[in-house]
Amino acid sequence: MATAIRAEGISKCYEDTVAFDDVSIEVDSGEVFSLVGPNGAGKTTLVRALTGTTAPDSGTISVFGKSPTNVESGRIGLLPQSFTPPERLTARELLGYYRGLYDDPRDVDDVLADVGMHSADETWYTNLSGGQQRRVCVAIALINDPELLFLDEPTTGIDPAGRQSLWSLIDNLAAAGTTVFLTTHYMEEAQALADRVALLDAGTLVEVGPPTALIESYGGGTHLLVETELSPEQLTGLDVAVEPTDDGVRIPDVATADIGRIVQQLDAQGVTYDTLTWTEPSLEDVYLRLTDTVNRNGTPKEPLATGGRSE
Amino acid sequence: MTRTRRVAAEASAAWRTFLRRRTAVFFTFGFPLILVGIFGVVVQANPTSSGLFSHPTSFYVPGYLAVIVLFTPLTRIGSSIARHREGNRFQKLSTTPASRGEWLAAHTLVNIGIILLASAVVLGVLELLAGGAIRLSLSLLPFIILAVVVFCGLGAILGRITDSQDGVVAASNAVALPLVFLSETFVMPERLPAWFRPAINLSPLTYFARGVRKATYLDQPVWPDLLVLTMFAVLVFAAGASAVPQE
Repeated sequence: MATAIRAEGISKCYEDTVAFDDVSIEVDSGEVFSLVGPNGAGKTTLVRALTGTTAPDSGTISVFGKSPTNVESGRIGLLPQSFTPPERLTARELLGYYRGLYDDPRDVDDVLADVGMHSADETWYTNLSGGQQRRVCVAIALINDPELLFLDEPTTGIDPAGRQSLWSLIDNLAAAGTTVFLTTHYMEEAQALADRVALLDAGTLVEVGPPTALIESYGGGTHLLVETELSPEQLTGLDVAVEPTDDGVRIPDVATADIGRIVQQLDAQGVTYDTLTWTEPSLEDVYLRLTDTVNRNGTPKEPLATGGRSE
Repeated sequence: MTRTRRVAAEASAAWRTFLRRRTAVFFTFGFPLILVGIFGVVVQANPTSSGLFSHPTSFYVPGYLAVIVLFTPLTRIGSSIARHREGNRFQKLSTTPASRGEWLAAHTLVNIGIILLASAVVLGVLELLAGGAIRLSLSLLPFIILAVVVFCGLGAILGRITDSQDGVVAASNAVALPLVFLSETFVMPERLPAWFRPAINLSPLTYFARGVRKATYLDQPVWPDLLVLTMFAVLVFAAGASAVPQE
């Protein structure tokens, strides 16, 4: 499979602030690659470097085998973070405007249909809902029919319904073969959409890999949370290990088949509890565990595979 | 051809956006009329006195037009840059084929259209006030266009060095107010300190004012001033284009 993006050892500092340090990533064509991290982790600066609007202090970047500033602009689509187009233009006018900037753009009606904005195409941008506005922004990024689409925190600040509709849009783009480079601070978003995720913390790449593989390796097992006033020492009738939490106890590595047995043991012992919650590990658990490791040791864990690539 | 298409797309969007900002439209055309009202009616030109306004109304046409070609492009381009930057539009534009020069050219074209309209309105009002005494000349057109180019370029530079719309307005006023009074518009050099007079020649607005006065009042050849203003336009536009932010 061809490589869409290759960044090797790139670093960027602004005076005393490290935006990102010694980051290496590789994104395959047709892949949905998500860069995950909290606000200030360096995601947006990294997108700027990959799209050629800022130059890294060191390291090399190639996009479709060329320097980001030399790539044909028609091959790349970008939705910048907190992007706001001219607000007193309609969705149709906005697409017409950005269409006019490209040599071989898509038809406005086709793009409006793709993002489900045909019914509100004559409404000024400023009068659209948050979800509709983000759809228009994605449409703007799609007007040149890009092979590689950068979406920098596309769902920040929109309601759950708007987020879901944008997820479905990104899914459709990926299914159609568009390479998507998605940044987000919503772990569930990356877990739902990405083929591979890169976890970024304070400018350092902590880990790269498929979400399922990362969860398997670093997320820990499933567990049962019991919200109770009793301490682990008081739960003597259980045949499983019990750990204390702020709200009760945590029973690690509980399969769904074991839940009934544990509940029976709790009842037999007369344990009263407010809630029982069975939880699968998520990417958030992975992120918290790995960033905690980095913060304590100063170095990230060994990657899953060479360059963090999935095979 | 594609460059023309890009400039047209940018200009069309900017023009529509301008027309839909009612307060911007009102004040763009209302501000120069207020100025004419203040200077032309309240103060009243009095050719018999020896005061500041001792010449006929026609003599001050360069001053009225200077206010329009100076303030509007400076603040409009500077504010546009601030708005674009706040909305991360330049970051988006930098990934399109559009260049910074094309962006500035498009917005300059829109400003030329706006300023030509505003100038026509002001000249019409002045003609009424002066009883048809103002000599209208086609050579006003290149002067107005070139001056708008100069101050759009300067507006881009101000937009780059300031970090907000408020900052742009403050910086525009700080630049424009001294310029408008020290460029042979309303105040003639003989009323300024002798040591300051050479500085007048550094202002592009001086050549605008001289040229327009020659065209509308003195009936003298305008090409020397046109030539200097053209040079200013080329230099300041180039500097302005390179000042348009990339992100």
